[in-house]
Amino acid sequence: MTGVAISFREVTKSFGDKRVLDRVTLDVSPGEVLVLLGRSGCGKTTLLRLVNRLVDADGGGVFVGGREVADWDPVELRRGIGYAIQGVGLLPHLSVGDNVSLVPRLLGWNPDRRRERAAEMLRLVGLDPREHGDRRPDQLSGGQRQRVGVARALAADPQALLMDEPFGAVDPIGRRSLQEEFRSLSRELRKTVLFVTHDVTEAFRLADRIAVVADGGIRQVGTPGEIADAPADALVRGLIEGAA
Amino acid sequence: MSFLEFLAGRWTEILGLTLEHVVLVVISTVAGVLIAVPLGLAITRIPALGRPVLGFAGVIQTVPSLALFGLLIPLPFIGGIGSRTAIIALVLYALLPILRNTVTGVRQVDPAILDAANGMGMTDWQRLTLVEVPLALPSIFSGIRIATVVGVGLVTIAAAVGAGGLGSLIFRGLAMLDSRLLFAGAIPSAILALLADAGLAMLESRLVASRGASTS
Repeated sequence: MTGVAISFREVTKSFGDKRVLDRVTLDVSPGEVLVLLGRSGCGKTTLLRLVNRLVDADGGGVFVGGREVADWDPVELRRGIGYAIQGVGLLPHLSVGDNVSLVPRLLGWNPDRRRERAAEMLRLVGLDPREHGDRRPDQLSGGQRQRVGVARALAADPQALLMDEPFGAVDPIGRRSLQEEFRSLSRELRKTVLFVTHDVTEAFRLADRIAVVADGGIRQVGTPGEIADAPADALVRGLIEGAA
Repeated sequence: MSFLEFLAGRWTEILGLTLEHVVLVVISTVAGVLIAVPLGLAITRIPALGRPVLGFAGVIQTVPSLALFGLLIPLPFIGGIGSRTAIIALVLYALLPILRNTVTGVRQVDPAILDAANGMGMTDWQRLTLVEVPLALPSIFSGIRIATVVGVGLVTIAAAVGAGGLGSLIFRGLAMLDSRLLFAGAIPSAILALLADAGLAMLESRLVASRGASTS
């Protein structure tokens, strides 16, 4: 399945007195990788979590495939959207293979089909199912665990992927190769990907388009080239130059 | 007559009382688990329950056991002399360690794991059974272990309300100022506590090692 469109319309969200998102409007096209780039606390993670309703908006609307997320049952919505986070959140008491096939299990796939799917997904992210499938997550390296996290997010063939700093806990070299592999993987699968990072280099490496987020709003949206050539304001320029 | 000869003459009685002792501990601990584990899990879902339930179990814990046994005797239906009264008191004492360890075990689960579980579309029930309970199991189990070992000691005191068990030898020894009777009750009781602790510790470590061996 290729991706679906995700749109935010005038979305507002506050936690207590603090307004973290202020009338944000953004469109993610089907099949594109859109990176939300910004410093910590700018609201980018909240924006991502609105999509699978881990957070609900105070005002405005979020749409997945043209349907407003508020109209979905959250459980059903989440099973159709892959989710990968920093720290990965693998279940330590399950094998790697069982971790990968968790969403298919929730969807009621039979064990044979799940095992097959887990093996296929592990190969897709560059792990050998025979070597790694039966191990426990704590027997893998950090980079391998992140791959398992990506495999798990992809296992039920979701229409979209949400990724929150999914390569955050890896050393720079491992990180670079994960990024490159993810780049070609996302090109091949044509999923809609919303990817959160504070790392400018990572954003430029992975994105079809980048949305720069600051103070609860979007400062600029454009291809990496557009943003590098014509930063919209001093903040965006500062952010990119800070990384250069 | 040496102590050993004394024991040899009474070993059937001691064995019978030991068995009675074990049965009391097992019944009250199992009942404690059946009440405290579901109640503890309920507290993790309905936090408002936490304060009153843990508070009640905590207050029980502060009542000296001899007093609690005594307080239960005059109560209609549950009171009276005998093992029933004792079991009720023992169950009440077993609640706190199991409750507390169930609640902390669930609350200690890594937030990243819970976030991932929610994000992949688990229902609350699935999150509880597939994630939280398996990960809290070692903590729950150590609560059960504490309750059991404490229970072995408490049962000796339950003999005061006519529950039987090794405590009846101890109380008889005290009444007759016969230290041999006292030791004949106290030593097996101490051995039971040590065995229960070691046995459950072994089970616990095997549980951790094999935790969630492929569940599909």
